[in-house]
Amino acid sequence: MGSRIACHFANIGVEVLLLDIAPNELTPEEQAKGLTLEHQAVRNKIVNAALETAVKSNPSPIFTKRSLSRISTGNFTDNMKDIATCDWTIEVVVENLDIKKKVYEQVEQFRKQGTLITSNTSGIPIHLMAEGRSEDFHKHFCGTHFFNPPRYLRLLEIIPTPHTDPEIVDFLIHYGDQFLGKTTVLCKDTPAFIANRVGVYSIMSLLHLVEKMDLKVEEVDKYTGPVLGRPKSATFRTTDVVGLDTMINVANGLYQNVPNDKAHALFQLPGYVLKMKENNWLGDKTKQGFYKKVKSESGKSEILALDLKTLKYRPQEKVKSATIDGLKLIDNLRDRMKAYAKGTDRAGEFFRTAFFGLFEYVSDRIPEISDELYRIDDAMRAGFGWELGPFEVWDAIGITEALAGMKTLGNEAAPWVHEMLAAGHTTFYKVEDGVKKYYDIPTKSYKAIPGTDAFIILDNIRASKTIWKNSGTTITDLGDGIINLEFHTKMNTIGGDVIQGINKAVDLAEKDFRGLVIGNDGANFSAGANIGMIFMAAIEQEWDEINMAIRAFQNTSMRLRYSSIPVVVAPHNLTLGGSCEFSLHADHVQINAETYMGLVEFGVGLIPGGGGTKEFALRVSDELKDGQIDQNVLKDRFLTIAMAKVSTSGAEAADLGYLKAGKYSISMNRSRLIADAKAKALELADAGYTQPVRRTDIKVLGKSGLGIVYAGANSMFAGNYISEHDKKISEKLGYVMCGGDLSAPSMVSEQYLLDLEREAFLSLCGEKKTLERIQSIITKGKPLRN
Amino acid sequence: MQEAYIIAGYRTAVGKAPKGVFRFTRADELAAEVVKALVVSVPNLDKEQIDDVIVGNATPEAEQGLNIARMVSLMGLNTDKVPGVTMNRYCASGLETIATAVAKIRSGMANCIVAGGVEVMSGMPFGGWKLVPNPEVAKAHPEWYWGMGLTAEAVANDYKVSREAQDEFAFNSHKKAIKGLESGRLKAGVLPITVTENYVDANLKKKTRDYIVDTDEGPRADTSIEKLAKLKPVFAANGSITAGNSSQTSDGAAFVLVVSESMLKQLNVQPIARLVSYGVAGVPPRIMGIGPIEAIPLALKNAGMKQDQLDLIELNEAFASQSLAIINTLGLNTDIVNVNGGAIALGHPLGCTGAKLTVQVLNELKARNKKYGMVTMCVGTGQGAAGIFELL
Repeated sequence: MGSRIACHFANIGVEVLLLDIAPNELTPEEQAKGLTLEHQAVRNKIVNAALETAVKSNPSPIFTKRSLSRISTGNFTDNMKDIATCDWTIEVVVENLDIKKKVYEQVEQFRKQGTLITSNTSGIPIHLMAEGRSEDFHKHFCGTHFFNPPRYLRLLEIIPTPHTDPEIVDFLIHYGDQFLGKTTVLCKDTPAFIANRVGVYSIMSLLHLVEKMDLKVEEVDKYTGPVLGRPKSATFRTTDVVGLDTMINVANGLYQNVPNDKAHALFQLPGYVLKMKENNWLGDKTKQGFYKKVKSESGKSEILALDLKTLKYRPQEKVKSATIDGLKLIDNLRDRMKAYAKGTDRAGEFFRTAFFGLFEYVSDRIPEISDELYRIDDAMRAGFGWELGPFEVWDAIGITEALAGMKTLGNEAAPWVHEMLAAGHTTFYKVEDGVKKYYDIPTKSYKAIPGTDAFIILDNIRASKTIWKNSGTTITDLGDGIINLEFHTKMNTIGGDVIQGINKAVDLAEKDFRGLVIGNDGANFSAGANIGMIFMAAIEQEWDEINMAIRAFQNTSMRLRYSSIPVVVAPHNLTLGGSCEFSLHADHVQINAETYMGLVEFGVGLIPGGGGTKEFALRVSDELKDGQIDQNVLKDRFLTIAMAKVSTSGAEAADLGYLKAGKYSISMNRSRLIADAKAKALELADAGYTQPVRRTDIKVLGKSGLGIVYAGANSMFAGNYISEHDKKISEKLGYVMCGGDLSAPSMVSEQYLLDLEREAFLSLCGEKKTLERIQSIITKGKPLRN
Repeated sequence: MQEAYIIAGYRTAVGKAPKGVFRFTRADELAAEVVKALVVSVPNLDKEQIDDVIVGNATPEAEQGLNIARMVSLMGLNTDKVPGVTMNRYCASGLETIATAVAKIRSGMANCIVAGGVEVMSGMPFGGWKLVPNPEVAKAHPEWYWGMGLTAEAVANDYKVSREAQDEFAFNSHKKAIKGLESGRLKAGVLPITVTENYVDANLKKKTRDYIVDTDEGPRADTSIEKLAKLKPVFAANGSITAGNSSQTSDGAAFVLVVSESMLKQLNVQPIARLVSYGVAGVPPRIMGIGPIEAIPLALKNAGMKQDQLDLIELNEAFASQSLAIINTLGLNTDIVNVNGGAIALGHPLGCTGAKLTVQVLNELKARNKKYGMVTMCVGTGQGAAGIFELL
């Protein structure tokens, strides 16, 4: 965990000194090599091995390899003194109070006064750790709780002690949010803090519920996965990934430390979990847990589920539920929750038992673990990947409706809930003037959520600020002369409605505003163009229609670049194909740190047809320098498209050439993305934005580049690395990027390249193998290699 | 017609590329060192009597560019009177220069020629810095542009050479080379080279150090059939050619001094050997590795000899697959092929290889008190070359 936290700080550009213990003894190999415990390589081997393991893990803790150059390693014995040069010391040693206290004793010897010192822990009371330390130490000491893996899980719990300087707490809340990209949640120093207290309660109550309701593991995962707005790994699969032992540790800790909790008995492990622990069935780390992956005799792998009664693995059973089937048709999660609570089969019964118990539990935890209800929702969303926190689900069902159901099941909400209703307040949250407010219990009134004033949350402003909309897009006024265009199609794919929306947004911005942001709050920025539409037209051989559609796509990309207002695209998460092409044409890309961007058209047998291929040819041209080897520049750009490379982070998108130096910035925190993009648009407008002049100076290599494309594609084909169809697509891609078979390197215009790009795209639409690839993605969701 | 005689020959040890002992040494420096030593080794020779310096090189560009042979002549001989010419027949370049020297002397155009080759593959991409294939040819005959690894895969398929056979061949190459190093057989004719390295140490301070290179760097005593079997194919998915059963990329230089009969008398030296015959042949580029299958019979025919008259064969191990295809097709006597290991263990500094193998085969003939030795290799884009030497 320490090395992963180090990696994340390095990701954001901070220089990190990573320390671990020095070893006590040599391995036989080291002895054979004649090494001693005094050798530098031996002294730092524990820390180096931990860092290496972290870096090799998947998904990677680092944005790009460059992060690693900011981390230096050392050991406690030799390098503790070097913390004198550090502004912040983060302790992530083993979860043992005595050891932690010993480490702090050493830290105190060397740390500079006034520097920050935090402990990352998931269970040990923070106030006990700093006993015996100086006043300055106490003032600058605070608990933190990163969720593992710290790069990816958005929650950062901040747990001050009574002595922590309030300025330090404010700093951590702010730094965690803006610089580390986390949702920071202020917690009290209570056992397991907020997220694990509620999350482990939730899992433990399910572990007991399966016995009571005789539920199967795959059944629970079906009931608690995407249908609830939670990850697909749902309950048991998540436990396998995290490790049953981790869950058991937190549960045991809670069992010991919260004896007066009404749900105390629930933290006691059911018999089958104890057996699993005995058998060392801890999940992925021991190759089996609630599920087990096996290979059948035919070599096909299958994931078996654990029968919780017999403790034998058996094939998974198809879960049938009319309620779940019905819920799948409801896109809006809040509406879905409402319907789920009314379900008439086992799934509905499960939902009510689980959630009504949860509602009681969380309402009882106030003010024990938090004075404000929104912190519990924030923690559950960010720490456990729930799309809605418990109070938000309760709101969705309706507080009064839920209370009635709770009564039937014997669950009782905390008194403050009844008092709230009595005071005439019927929801935990409400949106007023585009601002989301929470119910504040002591004052019995609604208050804005602190720290969110810097966020622009489209969900909250859509009702009051929409200026135009169609079926796939909405344009909202962000204020200060900047408007936002969001997609809200399925998977945010791009079709005719999105194309229309973008053009409308540029028109509106040019006419009445100062700048345009293209961003959305969906799970993904966009999965790319709606290829189903292209597929249908190709089957019908409607070439003119495809030609028109591609031309419209290209013109829209060009419109983004050639307008009189600055356009800032704000991608996050998956940003593929056509949406990547829009980014390529923006004046500026405000990219979220976690963005997986790529031109992936090869996977469906096509080349980028919305100006992406043209843009890569243009970028090749801009990178050419006299005396350099032009073909190598071409090759790099060509391979990015031909290998459908997708970035593993926003920073890597720049390395892959999807972002242009000076034309992008990274937002660490997703919640700030739209606001950051708006600020950038404003900055560009204020700086005196001028519409760019159309390019006619793009150097293409013609035949001098084409040879290496043809020879390279054939070698890959001959080596069985690519199929014959891949070779054909590669040749067409190369042809466009070289500007065709010109006799000598020549200057061309963007339109020249767009025409070649469209021609190549169209010809591929007429290829049977391309259509088979598209069909596979549409019907099976899987790429076909043919 | 005067006969031409080899009267001296040296090679450097072969370093691994790109991270081996010669990674700081330029090709012109390495070659000049060998030429310098060659001249010194013939006490009566006035260096201005040398008619030409012929340097084989397969990638004559960058550090090896600008007619490297002229630079080698100027740097190695310290006179501007001796010209230099660079020759390129890829992997046969170092043998081609010797054959050319012999032909020139026999025809009376020269009396004394330095011939050999040099290649420093460290820091040079395979095939050179800038590849600009002809697009029409790349479409019509893509295999003409194939990388060598792909051609080795094609040979393995066409000639049914199994992965196991290739790995075993590679293992034996290392085993023989290690034995050759231990017995000292591979040290014969090796010119020790002093390398000076200016570097930045861990504290970012500039430092200088010297070291002497006199031992081939490639052979691995710790390799095994099991280790070789674990390596993944590198040129084709599901292929059989690995880094372990291919030749190593290398750095090295080797030269011989070839003189006419009259010069031999004038210098009053004993000849070492003569080139009996030389043959080059074309084969399909797709299976370039089989080149020697055509070139070896041609060289034997030119010499009027039979295969069983050969005492030693240095067959350049570009790949185990092509080596085995040749050995099996021609029925070569494996007891006399690469007795001290081949390029899989010892390395293959492309343009130097022909000259280096010549130095090796002559020294080994001498050690065994034998007469006829052959040097042969396949050549990229589909050629083979073979030369027969007679130890005198």
